[in-house]
Amino acid sequence: MIDNKTFLIGGVLLALVIGIVAVFLASGDPDGLESTALVVSGQKDLTGLSPEDGDPEVIGTGSFAYESPMPDYSLGEELGSTGNMIAIVVGTLLTLLVVLGASYIIRMSKQGQY
Amino acid sequence: MHIPDAFIPLPQAAVYWIIALVFLGLAVRWARSELNEDKIPLIAVLAAGIFALQSFNLPVSMGTSGHLVGGALAAIVLGSPFAAVFILTLVLIIQGFIFGDGGITVMGANILNMGVIGGFVGYYSFQGLLKVVKNPYISSAFAAWLACLIPALACAIEMAIAGTFPLVPGLVAMGIYHAIIGVIEGIVTAVIIYVLAMARPDLVDTSVGVTSA
Repeated sequence: MIDNKTFLIGGVLLALVIGIVAVFLASGDPDGLESTALVVSGQKDLTGLSPEDGDPEVIGTGSFAYESPMPDYSLGEELGSTGNMIAIVVGTLLTLLVVLGASYIIRMSKQGQY
Repeated sequence: MHIPDAFIPLPQAAVYWIIALVFLGLAVRWARSELNEDKIPLIAVLAAGIFALQSFNLPVSMGTSGHLVGGALAAIVLGSPFAAVFILTLVLIIQGFIFGDGGITVMGANILNMGVIGGFVGYYSFQGLLKVVKNPYISSAFAAWLACLIPALACAIEMAIAGTFPLVPGLVAMGIYHAIIGVIEGIVTAVIIYVLAMARPDLVDTSVGVTSA
């Protein structure tokens, strides 16, 4: 049986491979929520194809707007799929670090109790 | 089913945040009692894997795509719905703040749907199915399918309350799309549990019944 360190490194490498493959193979179609938004706003039939230039957020009523540093897992048009790959790698590793960090902080706070 | 900021008015978004924070508090309490040298690498790998798999949209016909959400996976493997709340919250924070995937004001609703509802539906339907079916992979696949469909229906109701979707057309479309996307959720969840059970059966929660002899 593989040890914890091998499991962690192997698992993260597998996640990175999945994320990078996704950059090239993932479908660009809207997700279920976006498709529903297109349907109820009259831009798409329930079972039909999605329009190329459909805007699911057209029916939104909220006013809050936030500019993320890497919107849609992209670093802009020029960097193309290289940018997408960088975004996915950064996101996967950041997720790993945040979860490890949060876990250790929670564990330390527990040890501090006793 | 990452809700963008535009889809829920602020006062309602605040209510979902309050509900989400209650469950997040309970998830932190779960983490305090459960996290150890073995569980931390598992949680970290699951979170990184869920982040990567959530970027892998697969076409499901009807001009729509979908990906694994992972709530059932986290809850079943770690033996608690609060594991799903813990992992999905951290994934959603990174997706929302860094990648603009899912809104900020509505993050509470996204945590509620995918972490809380997904985790609880996934965990308890798995436990119930396992007693009847006796096979952890079939049980986890069907539990994961439900853990995709039920949060999507909850999301449709939230959209109706927000005035963004009309109730019945929203429920119909969300239901149909996620009944198919849920097949992805089911297959991927069962495959990952199988792979984990092969690699490190001791890490998979004993309730799954794959612990090595």
